[in-house]
Amino acid sequence: MTEIARGTHGGARGLSLESPALALLEDVNRDLASSLDLDETLQRTIDRVMQHLHVEAASIFLQDEQDGTLICQRCTGPVDVTGTRVGPGQGIVGLVVATGQPIMVEDAQHHPGFAPQVDARSGFITRSLLCVPLQTRGKCLGALELINRPGGDGPFTPADLDLASAVAAAAALAIQNMRMVRALVEQERVRKEIELARDIQLSLLPAPNPALAVAGFNLPARRVSGDFYDFQRRPDGRIHVSIADVAGKGMDAALLMTRTISLLRCLSKTARDPASLLEQINAELYETASRGLFVTLVAGILDPDTGELVYANAGHHPPLLRLGSGRYECLPVQAPPLGVLPVLGVPNQRLSLARGACYFYTDGVTEARDAGGTPLGLAGLLDLFDRVEPLPLFERLPTLFEALRVQQRHFHDDLTLLGLAPEVSEECLLALEFQAEPRRLKTLRRDLNRVLLAQRLPPKARESLIVAVNEACMNIMQHAYGHSGPGVINLDLRRIGDRLDLLIVDHAPPVDHQSIGPRDLADLRPGGLGTHFIQSAVDEWQYGHLAEARGNTLRLCKKLEEGD
Amino acid sequence: MEFNLTTKEGFSVVELSGDVDLSCSAAAREMILRSLASGQPTLVDLSAVTYIDSSGVASLVEGYQVARRKHLEFGLLKVSEAVHSVLELAHLDQVFRIHGSLEERLAQG
Repeated sequence: MTEIARGTHGGARGLSLESPALALLEDVNRDLASSLDLDETLQRTIDRVMQHLHVEAASIFLQDEQDGTLICQRCTGPVDVTGTRVGPGQGIVGLVVATGQPIMVEDAQHHPGFAPQVDARSGFITRSLLCVPLQTRGKCLGALELINRPGGDGPFTPADLDLASAVAAAAALAIQNMRMVRALVEQERVRKEIELARDIQLSLLPAPNPALAVAGFNLPARRVSGDFYDFQRRPDGRIHVSIADVAGKGMDAALLMTRTISLLRCLSKTARDPASLLEQINAELYETASRGLFVTLVAGILDPDTGELVYANAGHHPPLLRLGSGRYECLPVQAPPLGVLPVLGVPNQRLSLARGACYFYTDGVTEARDAGGTPLGLAGLLDLFDRVEPLPLFERLPTLFEALRVQQRHFHDDLTLLGLAPEVSEECLLALEFQAEPRRLKTLRRDLNRVLLAQRLPPKARESLIVAVNEACMNIMQHAYGHSGPGVINLDLRRIGDRLDLLIVDHAPPVDHQSIGPRDLADLRPGGLGTHFIQSAVDEWQYGHLAEARGNTLRLCKKLEEGD
Repeated sequence: MEFNLTTKEGFSVVELSGDVDLSCSAAAREMILRSLASGQPTLVDLSAVTYIDSSGVASLVEGYQVARRKHLEFGLLKVSEAVHSVLELAHLDQVFRIHGSLEERLAQG
């Protein structure tokens, strides 16, 4: 017997191995270090150990990383027990793995931990047994089990234990390395797939086109994005626009985003208008959406010549319409996000972009935080829109993003912007700023009458429109400024193509416009006629708010008669 | 704008004129209610009204309701075109009793 000199061989300190055993260890180590096929190498290892120690059977059990079950990975001997499963802590193998301590017994049948089921099934009789843990870095991966030595009935020796432990240590290291290699390969595969998904997503976004009145910008927080924007020119010259934000920002959000954009592209070819488009997409997503995922989406059709945008908004942030420096209108959200309710009930809304650009954004923009953790917020975003306003549209959004980078903001969520800035030929007929006082109403009506006389409006329609504007200003005086005291009213009347577009803005605290509806005329009471008068006089009307609670808006639109 | 309250042929006549809008509708309301408080049948002469807004219409509606509770007659006289189109818009032209003139009302007995 050759005893390895203590302290001279770090890896075999304290072992008492004969030279054939050392040769075996060398062979096993070489195999484990060089082979890439772990299963085959483990098989060869236990074959070698079996031959060397003349045991009847040998097996390697590995612990399932999920549930802790021990599974026979490889075995050799008269009975094939590959795939046999042993619960955590069960049997001698389970004990060895649970304690990290080897077990060596002369007669396994009398060992309290022995589980006789395998013998019972196979007819094999286990007598002497040596089981050592497969340990690496304090973690037990499984166990190496040797049965019936030598020649089937002799006991195992301390030298056998040393040899088995040395083999187990080498095998454990090889198994651990192989697992790490597999994890790295898997990570690389996933990374490549995500890269591919990113490429596909990017290819779905429309190419920038400086000639169009629309531009978009998207920056994913991770490699793939749950946001998207789209614009497509239709054969009639109008432009489909959309922006969406899928809840979440991982692969699931990216897949839902891809599905939504596909639905959008496909259904927009036949949908009557944005509202029916959103209803159809909603119906599809509601059928199949799972795990609480939902999509907020604004879809619209822009006429770049007239600046008219027809749009529908399902749960997305209110689009921002620029009315002047620091003054933006927040267009109301009209329906819940897609995929939540079976029917959306979203209306179409019309909007004139003649006065200024319209911007859509996802909350990754307003949530972009500076070094101190302060989010950009809506006020910060509006400030940036003002700063990029002098630029051509297609340069504005990249410049805005650059400004965010200069501010060293961190993007925790996908960041997407869409801007619409058609160049529209329009004529400002009247722009007034006056105190919200009843005595101003007469002058207002006179001024309005003067400019409307020059327009193609029948007398009755002209009178009704004056009534409507008068009522709207009255509402502001009585309700909007009712508590806060009088302020200023801005009135802006423009002629855009064949229609009159009127915007009335106050700077009072936000008014709940839901509460202002036309009343039932059969309900005879003194008040509440104003909204009815407004509704009767115009083709379209819409209440809104200035962003940052800076005031309220009312838009009125009246079509002019043709041919007059 | 000048509002007058007179008594003619047993009727209390409220004469409104000019633009009856938010700047003066409170005064119109007050005069109509004062007329009804006197217990007289009331007619509102609108011949000189050049414009009426919903606050002015509200004064007329309130007068109509108070008169009904008091079982008093309440009517409108000489409704100008400007006023009529607003009453029509509010579907009130069928609610109010509208007379071409005081004489026309008197002829009804």
